[in-house]
Amino acid sequence: MKQLLYKEWRLALHPATAAFWALSAMVLIPAYPYGVIFFYSALGLFFVCLTGRENRDLHYTLNLPVRKGDLVRARMLFAVQAELIQLALVIPFMALRNALHIPPNPVGMDANIALLAVGFVLLGVYNLIFFTRYYRAPDKVGRAFVIGSMAQFAAIFVLEALTHIVPFFRERLDTPDPAYLGEKLAVLAVGGILYAGMTWLACRRAVRSFEKLDF
Amino acid sequence: MQALAVRGLCKQYPAFTLSDVSFSVEEGQIMGLIGRNGAGKTTTLKCLLNLVHPDAGEAVFFGKRFASAELEIKQQIGYVAGGIDFYGKKRLDAITSVTKRFYPTWDDAVYQECTRRFELDGRKTPEQLSAGMRVKYALTLAMSHHARLLLLDEPTSGLDPVSRDELLDIFLGLSREGVSILFSTHITSDLERCADGITYIRRGKVAASAPLNKFCSGYACLNLTENQLTDTVKARLIGMKPAKVGYTALIAPEDAQAMGLRAEPAGLETIMIHLEKEDAQ
Repeated sequence: MKQLLYKEWRLALHPATAAFWALSAMVLIPAYPYGVIFFYSALGLFFVCLTGRENRDLHYTLNLPVRKGDLVRARMLFAVQAELIQLALVIPFMALRNALHIPPNPVGMDANIALLAVGFVLLGVYNLIFFTRYYRAPDKVGRAFVIGSMAQFAAIFVLEALTHIVPFFRERLDTPDPAYLGEKLAVLAVGGILYAGMTWLACRRAVRSFEKLDF
Repeated sequence: MQALAVRGLCKQYPAFTLSDVSFSVEEGQIMGLIGRNGAGKTTTLKCLLNLVHPDAGEAVFFGKRFASAELEIKQQIGYVAGGIDFYGKKRLDAITSVTKRFYPTWDDAVYQECTRRFELDGRKTPEQLSAGMRVKYALTLAMSHHARLLLLDEPTSGLDPVSRDELLDIFLGLSREGVSILFSTHITSDLERCADGITYIRRGKVAASAPLNKFCSGYACLNLTENQLTDTVKARLIGMKPAKVGYTALIAPEDAQAMGLRAEPAGLETIMIHLEKEDAQ
């Protein structure tokens, strides 16, 4: 697995994927639906899989002394690492936003701890839809991305709408830190658990589909 | 010892069936896998490595079933499907640095020796290499982890005669060192130059698997005029086809002798062409 992960970082990583990490800085924009930041994580992973197809990554990797399932697990682990980098980079920019005294976000969720929970959920939804479909037919990566990102945008819309509609979201979660810290940390934990659960399920389904494929 | 034993491989597609493919490759042997395009050569090679899931049958490498010892077997073999066609824009050095990590038996000295011998520049990318150099790089990777068996899918296709000849010399050298090679091709002259045995696949079935000389000596080639084409002669001919003057056909050498016909030894290409013609008729 260590070697496969090294392969992901050394050969498979697309420059745009790394460049998109910088978009965590979008929390500095005063008014913006910050959930969109996590769409760029998804886009970055799509580029990795798309260029993987052009580079015949699967054919290269399948000829190495590795199990077919491990190939999927390594890609998913790489995806998790890339997504966590995106999430982690949001934190210093949130701190900077607070230091700059930028007023709360009027569009949707504020740049706070609860946003990280939103990020976890959005990334989990994408992983569940995209990777499950991608490993069913790796040549149709574009289709998997369109469906995965549509699901993610629907989730962005719902989660941002909740901050306007549902009192708990509006009054407790969509507030500047450190207000309601306990609730936000609890929501963050739930987001993390949902992310882990959806990604684990995606990996399990993807391995099962991929092992059946002929090349 | 057998480097590879293939037993009863079957794979069914809507428009093609691979049926009961069985053959073996001895250690240090070069086995040619021949057949026309679409005969099932690539499917067979892919079934051996489970890249295509066979419906039945098994591949046994060095006495171990692939299904139960996949990782151990993959450490000891090299599969080269044409030349390197992956990560075309990455430097060879980068591809090597990743690949070598998967093989505990990787030998940097062998790698350096091969790159020197094949004049491979690690700063180049696969896209910058000629077709022949891509095959050489693929072989370099396989040789550097001391592969005991090479599975090569049409490695000489698209190469110029000099590059092909050079590669065949390499195969012969590897064979002398005890490396076994299973080599699919439809360029039969390559096999005549280096193969010990051939496995001939016709329409998804093994038509023959035998030492090269034994296979070729089972056929003779006849050039016939219209007058020589009596019904008795016709009945013994295999895959008769028109030639510039008269007809050509295969015949069993003993039949030619019995009928007093002057036959010449048949080469692999001639045999393959006439057998395929016979199928079509």
